[in-house]
Amino acid sequence: MKKLQPIQTLSLVLIFIFSITGILSLNSCAPTSAISAKSGVQLWGENCQRCHNTPSPMTFSPQQWETIGMHMQTRALLTQDEKDKIVGFLKSSR
Amino acid sequence: MKPTLKIKSIILVLLIIIITGSRTRLEAQTQNATDSALSDRIAALELQSNYSRAGDDHLLVIGLATFGWVSTKTTNTIDGVSSVSRSNSFPDADHFEFSPMFLWRHGTKFLMEFEPSFSNNGLGINWADISYFAAPNLIIRAGYLVVPFGTYSKRLAAGWINKLTTDPMGISEMAPTDYGIEVEGGLPLGSMKMNYNFSLTNSNLLNSDGTLSSGSMGDVNSNKTFTGRLGILPLSNSSLELGVSGMFGKVGTPGTAFQNAKGTAYAFDLNYVNTFSPLLINIKAQYNIKNISDVNYISPVDSVTAYTFTNHSTAAFIQCSLRPTTANNFLHDMELAGRYTTYNSPSNSTWGSNQSSYTIGLNYWLSWRSALRLSYESYTGNSTASKALNAYTGKTISNSWYIQFAIQL
Repeated sequence: MKKLQPIQTLSLVLIFIFSITGILSLNSCAPTSAISAKSGVQLWGENCQRCHNTPSPMTFSPQQWETIGMHMQTRALLTQDEKDKIVGFLKSSR
Repeated sequence: MKPTLKIKSIILVLLIIIITGSRTRLEAQTQNATDSALSDRIAALELQSNYSRAGDDHLLVIGLATFGWVSTKTTNTIDGVSSVSRSNSFPDADHFEFSPMFLWRHGTKFLMEFEPSFSNNGLGINWADISYFAAPNLIIRAGYLVVPFGTYSKRLAAGWINKLTTDPMGISEMAPTDYGIEVEGGLPLGSMKMNYNFSLTNSNLLNSDGTLSSGSMGDVNSNKTFTGRLGILPLSNSSLELGVSGMFGKVGTPGTAFQNAKGTAYAFDLNYVNTFSPLLINIKAQYNIKNISDVNYISPVDSVTAYTFTNHSTAAFIQCSLRPTTANNFLHDMELAGRYTTYNSPSNSTWGSNQSSYTIGLNYWLSWRSALRLSYESYTGNSTASKALNAYTGKTISNSWYIQFAIQL
C-alpha cells in the first residue's frame, strides 16, 4: 500500500477532528420550543410522507415498530427525538 | 355505670375505630402505591428483557414485490433507414422484483439490514450492513451499502415508493453499492434541520470502455472513494429538503494505462411535499454530474490503436405527483404523476448518447403500501457514439405502456 506523505496524514487527521467537532457542535444546537413541542402524530404526518404514504399504526406490533423506527432513522435521517416520538405514537395508537 | 363514664367509653371506642380505620386506609394506600411501583418495575423489566432477547420480535422480515406488463413499440433510424419492433413482456426489467428485507434489531444500539433481490436481471444483493447507533443523531454503518450520492437510490427507488413504473435513466447508475463504512445522522438546527452522510468505500473501477464498476470485495487499487451528502430542511414543517453530494476517488487499476485516472461526481437533490387543500403536492428532482479524467482507451476495432474522449456524463429528472386529500374514497386513493428525465453520456465513446423521456402515470392506492399503476413513457435517444469505432446506433424512439402492481411486504 502506498505510504501517505506527512502533510497528507496531517490533513486527514485535521479533517477528521474538524468533522467530529462540527457534528458535535451542530448536535448541541437546540431546536426551538415550537419544534420541541411537536407531538408524535404531527411528526408522523410531516416526515413519513416525505418519501411514502403515512403508515397505519396497525401494520406492525409495538416491538416491530421499534425495529422499523431504527431502519427509518437510517433511511430518512430523522433526528433521535423525531424517531422516538413517531415510534411512540405508532405504538400507542394500535 | 355512670353517664360520664359511659360517654367516655363511647368516645374511646369511636377513637379506636377511627384510628384503626385510618391505619387500614393508610395501609391500603401504601399497598396500592407498592403494587403500582412493582407493576411499573415489572413492565420496565419486561421491556428491558424484550430489548435484549433475540427472537421473532427482533428479526423482522419485510421487503417488496412488483409485477408488471409492458408493451413497447420501438423505431430505430440509422443512416436514413428505419426499422420498427414491438414487444409485449411480463417480467420486463424494473417491472418484476421480489426483494425480502431482513431487519435484525439487537438491543437498541445495533441493526442488521440484509436485502437480497430477485428480478429478471437475476439474483443479487441490494445491501447487507450493520448499523451502530453510537449516540443520538450519530449512526455508524459498515458492510455492503448504497453510497450517499443524491437521494433517489437510497430513499425513492423501492418499487412501492416510486410513483412511476420505471426508474429515471442514469440516476441510480451513478450511486453505486459498495463495501465500506459510513457515518450519518439528522440534526436539529433551531427551527430547521440538517442531515449528513459520509462514506468511505472500495474504489469504483474504470472499465476498458470508460464506464465505471463498483462493488469489488477486494481492494483492487488501494485507494478509497469518499462520498458525502449534506441535506438541509429549511422549513419548520420539514416539507422541503435540499441536498448536495460529492464523490471523489481514483478509479484506475495500478499497472494499467488508467492507473492515474480520477473520478469526481456531484449531485443536487430537491424534495418538496406539502398539502395545499384539496391536493397533496409531491415534487422530487435530482441532477447528477460525473467526470473521469482523460485517458487513452484501446480501440475495439483495432487493438493497436488508442482513442480518447471527454468522459463527462449528466443525468437529471424532475417529477411531480398530485393526490386529492379531501375527495371521496375512490378519488382519495388516486394519484397522478409525471416525470421528465434526461441522460447524456460521453460523445465519441462506444456508448455515448443523448437521451430523454417523458413519463406520466396514474396510481390507485389499494392501501398505504400497495398500488396498481398505469404508466405511459415516451423515450428518445440520439446516439453520439463514435462512428469510427463502429459504435454509432442512430436515433431511437420508443413508446411504452406499463401496468404494474407494487406492494411492500
